[in-house]
Amino acid sequence: MTGRVKTALIFVAALYLTACGVNNVVIEGSFPTPKINKLPLNVAVYYDPALTEFAYIEYSETGSEEYNIASGQSHIELFSTVLPAMFDGVVVVNSIEEAKDLGVDAIFAPIIEEFQLALPAKTKLDVYEIWIKYNMRLMTADGDYIADWVLTSYGKTPTESLRSVEAAINAAAIVALRDLASSFSLSFSQVPEVKDWLNTL
Amino acid sequence: MKHFLGKNRFGIALLLLASLASCTTTTIDEFRQGETGIENHESVVILGRRQASDYETRSKFVECVGERMTRGENSISVVPEQEFVDAMFPWFEPRTAPLRTRDLERLMTEAVVSERMTEFGVRYIVWLDGFTETTDRSGSISCTIGPGGAGCFGFGSWEDDANFDARVWDVGSLTNVGTISTDATGQSYLPAFIIPIPLIARVEANACSRLATQLKDFVNGS
Repeated sequence: MTGRVKTALIFVAALYLTACGVNNVVIEGSFPTPKINKLPLNVAVYYDPALTEFAYIEYSETGSEEYNIASGQSHIELFSTVLPAMFDGVVVVNSIEEAKDLGVDAIFAPIIEEFQLALPAKTKLDVYEIWIKYNMRLMTADGDYIADWVLTSYGKTPTESLRSVEAAINAAAIVALRDLASSFSLSFSQVPEVKDWLNTL
Repeated sequence: MKHFLGKNRFGIALLLLASLASCTTTTIDEFRQGETGIENHESVVILGRRQASDYETRSKFVECVGERMTRGENSISVVPEQEFVDAMFPWFEPRTAPLRTRDLERLMTEAVVSERMTEFGVRYIVWLDGFTETTDRSGSISCTIGPGGAGCFGFGSWEDDANFDARVWDVGSLTNVGTISTDATGQSYLPAFIIPIPLIARVEANACSRLATQLKDFVNGS
């Protein structure tokens, strides 16, 4: 009898802990290669730790941590697919200083400035939504300023009864990342400062 | 006779409810703006519109229409949506997809896009836009569990309304050749007498089936 009570207590305690814990979501997905014309540039890419280790925490209405969304690695995967399709040469560097010695045409350094998540339970809409705001920086090989622009991406996915919240958040994030890839790859050479710089080459 | 009725009363009630549940009304409206026709080596791609902020055309519905168009008499070759969108990346994403035929004309000047379009043999692009809405929910069901067993009692009902528009673009002439609108409504019931018995109106499935048949005829030019 005591054994049964013990088991029941452990089960209840486990349930309680599960209900209180934060749900970790690691964004995972694959991205197609953009079919666009390459620019004749050799670019070094610097991924700041703020990007590679980026995680967003969504809090519940009671103020406790509800979802921890890690999207840093998926951003690296996305840029690793997009950038080689945009430029003739792409090399990843560990620091801006390292890029200076490589004789590249430019150094590209993206960072995430803001991340927002909208859950159906809070918005009362039948969609999961994700907004991400980026700061894209383009520098010369010497580290001097070329351009610094803001890009936003948006992704949404409908609620589906057989899909978990974590899977829906992942799906919305993948749509947002594809949105980033499409707008970044198509608008890069239209950014006024980038356009001016390209004309000087 | 009385004995027979008594025994089968529950079955008759169930049948009656099932027949009510299967009652879905579907209205199709076709507006033709140009001549159509398709060769054996040509195909159609069906894409869902996803620009609206509060809803998006479900990929399952797009898949359903595409799958049904490949079936039966006068079947048509349909390029799967995701395969097409990935192959055309980044030109058919929600933010970058052409909204008017003028945008498609501009898009086709991109060598990469026109080459891919030729590779797929796409003759028509069908843009599906719409969603299914559930309204008029009523009734209640309560379930209880006790030492003697468990059971649910009550009655619930709701209405589903599926509204979808299909715009057909001719990739050859870069024009909008027509629009087909579908509106399907149906009432679903959920009576519960110990166990819940869902009697679901297949509104979206009916909308898909009717729209696919109409689209197939439209594209074939019949």
